[in-house]
Amino acid sequence: MKRPVQPKFFNYMSTILETVDLKMTYRVGKVDVHALRGVTLNVARGEYIAIMGPSGCGKSTLLHIAGGMLTPTSGRLIIDGEDVTAMSDAQRTELRRRKIGFVFQRFNLFPTLSAEGNLKLAERIYARAKNGGNPEGRRRILKLLKLEDKLHHKPLELSGGEQQRVAIARAVVNRPALVLADEPTGNLDSENSKVVLDMLRGLNNEFGQTIVMITHNPEAAARADRVVEMRDGLILSAGVPHTDS
Amino acid sequence: MDSLSVANLKQRPLRTAVSMAGVSLGVVLVVLMGGLTRGMTRDAAGRQSNVDAEIRFLPGGEISITTSNPLMLSARYAGAIVNGVKPAPENPGVEPKPPVAAVAAATPVGQYVQTGAGAIGFEMVDGIDYASFKDVTSIKIVQGRPLGSGGDEQTAHEAIVDRFYAEKNLGLDNKPIRIGSKIKVLDQPFTVAGVYEPPMLARVKIPLKTMQELFGGADNCSFVMVKLKDREPVDRVIETINDYYPGNNVIPTSEIPALYSQGLFAVDVLLDVVVGLSAVISGLVILLAMFTTITERTREIGILKSLGASKRLIVTIIEREAALISAMGVVLGFVLSAIGRYSIQSSTRLIVDLDIKWLLIGGLIGMAGGVIGAFYPAIRAANLDPVEALSYE
Ligand SMILES: Nc1ncnc2c1ncn2[C@@H]1O[C@H](COP(=O)(O)OP(=O)(O)O)[C@@H](O)[C@H]1O
Ligand SMILES: [Mg+2]
Repeated sequence: MKRPVQPKFFNYMSTILETVDLKMTYRVGKVDVHALRGVTLNVARGEYIAIMGPSGCGKSTLLHIAGGMLTPTSGRLIIDGEDVTAMSDAQRTELRRRKIGFVFQRFNLFPTLSAEGNLKLAERIYARAKNGGNPEGRRRILKLLKLEDKLHHKPLELSGGEQQRVAIARAVVNRPALVLADEPTGNLDSENSKVVLDMLRGLNNEFGQTIVMITHNPEAAARADRVVEMRDGLILSAGVPHTDS
Repeated sequence: MDSLSVANLKQRPLRTAVSMAGVSLGVVLVVLMGGLTRGMTRDAAGRQSNVDAEIRFLPGGEISITTSNPLMLSARYAGAIVNGVKPAPENPGVEPKPPVAAVAAATPVGQYVQTGAGAIGFEMVDGIDYASFKDVTSIKIVQGRPLGSGGDEQTAHEAIVDRFYAEKNLGLDNKPIRIGSKIKVLDQPFTVAGVYEPPMLARVKIPLKTMQELFGGADNCSFVMVKLKDREPVDRVIETINDYYPGNNVIPTSEIPALYSQGLFAVDVLLDVVVGLSAVISGLVILLAMFTTITERTREIGILKSLGASKRLIVTIIEREAALISAMGVVLGFVLSAIGRYSIQSSTRLIVDLDIKWLLIGGLIGMAGGVIGAFYPAIRAANLDPVEALSYE
């Protein structure tokens, strides 16, 4: 399936995510759980990578650290030129607001708000103001994600696939430098999975959106530009870029 | 983000309603208790000054309206002020005094104040000498006949009442009061001889003589009301009276309402307690409501954090929701207070003023209680670990 690179241009000089020897140890009672044992990874601007690996190998931990939700035990983390390692909790929250969009397996929409309400809330948190956001940009994204007629539906009135598309729209609505998706198709049937993967592919192609996606599904991984293999808190192979057909 | 607060409130209508009711309870408590105190004080003080007599002559010492024996002042001062004191050969200790020229009339009044239940209601009875009382006030008998002197069997147990009392009270036979009804005054049955207008001093008046009998027989009163001739300067006359009869309190009637509302019983303390209690009620209700809310919405707080919401923003969102509930609770409290006032006034003799001061205090207490009560839950929410919050079931 993997074919040699047909040069889709990545600016490797412009690294969006860089980790250096990241280690993360959880303390559970008296036991240390080594979730990450020294992860070094680079993701270039405009790249779409998939992270694969067995359950418990540290994928989510890596993603949470990359999104500033978790502080690593040691190692360095640089996001879009900003060294996150030394940042305070408040500074990391701030970085997340400006540069990160999360997509979760469980969608994590606000159940009381409509699809549009969910997007607007994200826009307001981003803009730190009560303005109307960017209606034009929002419309383009909603069109790409085929959500125009679902705007006024609450999450419970939407299918799983539709909910995940709303969640993706929310993650990209503020044009973050980096989208982090943790098993975005994990709760979807194969048909909806395909739609969601098409959307991510489309966002990467059309907006040059940088995406790091965790997945268990080899077919999903195959849609990315590059596949990173993890095992036991380490990166087995950082993959070779390829293009999607 | 207000849409988030509003959506959350709509999501749990019962909890929202219960929280609002809790806040409104505190507001109602403050508004009605404050209003009741004010209403009763204003009413009583108003009636105290609702007489034509410009000057009140009271016993010396601290001015008090609650004394166990209310008859502390010789009733003869009334006659002395009007007519002067003649030399008495049999009693050379009495110093002769001329009449106070500016005085038109004076009357001795006995006044008995009985604290009612809860220190809020209080009952007052006047003992009057109708013959001179009518000269210093504008009292008019609108039904029945004037009060007798009390000097004989026939009139000793007679009373006159004002129209408000007649309309709001039942006689001992549990029927509305009319002429001839029996009412209980100072634990004794009295017959209503007449109804008077306008309201002044106590609503129930009995003969001063009878009151004196009940309190030991001395020819005493509580104070003397003094009416001046036309256009006589009050200050100057007070000076003269003080000159002739030193050691007493002589004050303008216009100062009585102020005196009255100063430290009336323990009411001020009671009100402070009510205000404090109300704040605590509002605070606890909102604390509990917001606490269950944030526990229930832990994952949503995790989502907010994943979107980059700062701690301050999360506190703001939760506080805004609490403020919204509190504001609705305050409005509900005002509405309930108005209803409460209506039902209190139509079913009891109590008077409640919906007074701007107590509405403000009630509203403020409701809001402050809510906002402070929400603070701890808000801080807790803001300090949640984002990853743990997101994995909360
Ligand atoms: N909060 C935590 N406390 C303790 N151990 C944890 C915690 N989160 C993850 N772990 C452990 O760290 C390891 C990696 O977990 P995770 O990053 O979730 O793996 P993956 O996403 O690849 O399944 C696992 O052994 C897991 O049990
Ligand atoms: Mg995981």
